Amino acid sequence: MLLLVAPAALVLVCFQIIPIFIGMNASFRDWSLVNPAKTWIGLKHYRDVLSDPVFLYTVLPNTFMLMVSSVVLSLASGLGLALLLNKPFFGRPVVRTVILLPLTVAPVITATMIRWSFNDQFGVITNLLSVLGFPEIGWLSDKWPSFSLIILTDVWIWAPWFTIIILAALQGLPREPFEAAQIDASGKWRTFTHITLPMLKPVIIVCVLIRSIDAFRTFDQVWILTGGGPARETEVFSVYAYVEAFVHLDYGKGAAAAGLGALIMLVVGIGLYKLVNRLMEVSR
Amino acid sequence: MTVEPFTLPIARPGPTMFERFAPGAWRVFIGLVIVAVLMIFIAPVAILIVTSIRPASGIYYIWRGTEFTLQNYVEVLQQPQILHAMFNSFVMATLATVVSLGVTVGSGYMLSRFTGRIQKTWFATIYVFRTVPYISFVLPLYLVTTNLRIYDTYLGLLLPHIAVHVCFFSWLMKGFFDSINPSMEHAALIDGCTRWGAFRRVALPSAMPGIAALSILSWLWTWNEFLFALILTGQRTPMITSTMAQFVTETGTEWNLMSATAVLAMLPALLVTIFGQKYVIRGLRM
Repeated sequence: MLLLVAPAALVLVCFQIIPIFIGMNASFRDWSLVNPAKTWIGLKHYRDVLSDPVFLYTVLPNTFMLMVSSVVLSLASGLGLALLLNKPFFGRPVVRTVILLPLTVAPVITATMIRWSFNDQFGVITNLLSVLGFPEIGWLSDKWPSFSLIILTDVWIWAPWFTIIILAALQGLPREPFEAAQIDASGKWRTFTHITLPMLKPVIIVCVLIRSIDAFRTFDQVWILTGGGPARETEVFSVYAYVEAFVHLDYGKGAAAAGLGALIMLVVGIGLYKLVNRLMEVSR
Repeated sequence: MTVEPFTLPIARPGPTMFERFAPGAWRVFIGLVIVAVLMIFIAPVAILIVTSIRPASGIYYIWRGTEFTLQNYVEVLQQPQILHAMFNSFVMATLATVVSLGVTVGSGYMLSRFTGRIQKTWFATIYVFRTVPYISFVLPLYLVTTNLRIYDTYLGLLLPHIAVHVCFFSWLMKGFFDSINPSMEHAALIDGCTRWGAFRRVALPSAMPGIAALSILSWLWTWNEFLFALILTGQRTPMITSTMAQFVTETGTEWNLMSATAVLAMLPALLVTIFGQKYVIRGLRM
């Protein structure tokens, strides 16, 4: 029994758990280039991060805003798409294939495509919008347009994931409640809110849990689309840690930020897990 | 005397206002929604592909003009770094998939079939470590790989990839084995199979469809992975995603060449979407 887990556990310990401790150790030391001894400086980096206005007032709100808006919007559009695809119509297989694209194309490439489509001079979508008479928007040069572009990219990537899982669940639902609803002349909307949605609840909850955890560490799209700019205003937590460590070359501060993020996620993750368990019990 | 068969009349909700005044409008609306959905998901990819076959002078306002060329691809493929990066990504994705599946199949089986303290602890461990943001251990892994002198090598990127797959794949593998009825294995045990034999000859073949689906996704995820490649590789072992990102964030003007590179990097994804969608859907549903 132990033998079955041993290889997996070994890799996990060596390349995830030990590095986390090494990172914690590194976050307590001075990493400036003129100090080869890497002196122990205690909690200074953590104090720096926690008193950094960029981290407190930009990075943390951005991270949670991205997490919540991405999960809510992709759940809503994914659910809508799943309901649409649940009914047969001409060309359904095509739609089903096409929505797999976002899940197989690398987020780096997706972000590149979006960045090019919204290019301020030559982007197809920018031009389309100006032809349609919309006022000019600095898609990648102002904070809120760039941030909404990041959210949009995330929704584009993840809505199909919700669709596929919810569609599978929809097709596995028993027929009887729907027949009963039909006999009782229940309208479409009532059938949806009173029968479909409650039966889908467990699946949706699990999806939201997995997605929320993953959305917290979003890096690729943000890095390619805005690089955290303009002026660090769209940085999220992963980008912040990367920028501190490899752009500002303050490795200790980056490690401290990464550690804090892991801590936050541990609390959020356990909280979500408890919440999910309670919700699942209620819905049973 | 015959009795007429009696059937319960099915009550239907009356036509809504909408249906009464504009019959068929609902279907038109749904049709428009479907077209919009298709557009939304195809447009960015299409824009990228069109850009990649335009000459450098024609990428601005790409919907105008009729000059098309494959010159961009020729130029991109002549750069040794791009070819090298594609080769590296290919090797890395294949290695990471084979090794991580090999490592996690046992762990998933154990999670599914055994109970007890070890199983509980292991399950809690993989749950907790799945929540750890990648940056929190990739950042220190930069130090680890530099110190072990495996920074910017296959090994230095492969091992972290496997480590991150361990949590998620064990979880998925548990799901595959959970969906298989264990009574088959019990029967095999009674017929004189060893525990190992029951796993290898009975459980493993039944879990194969799931594992096949997972292997395709795993290959794609490793090929698409960016953060590890960005931090753990440099000039010697470039990966396709980090090479592309360099293009986009540093030079940022030659969009025709960038698009050609992006299309090349997207090729496996397109192929899998077209030919392997059955497996992708199965894998994602787990």
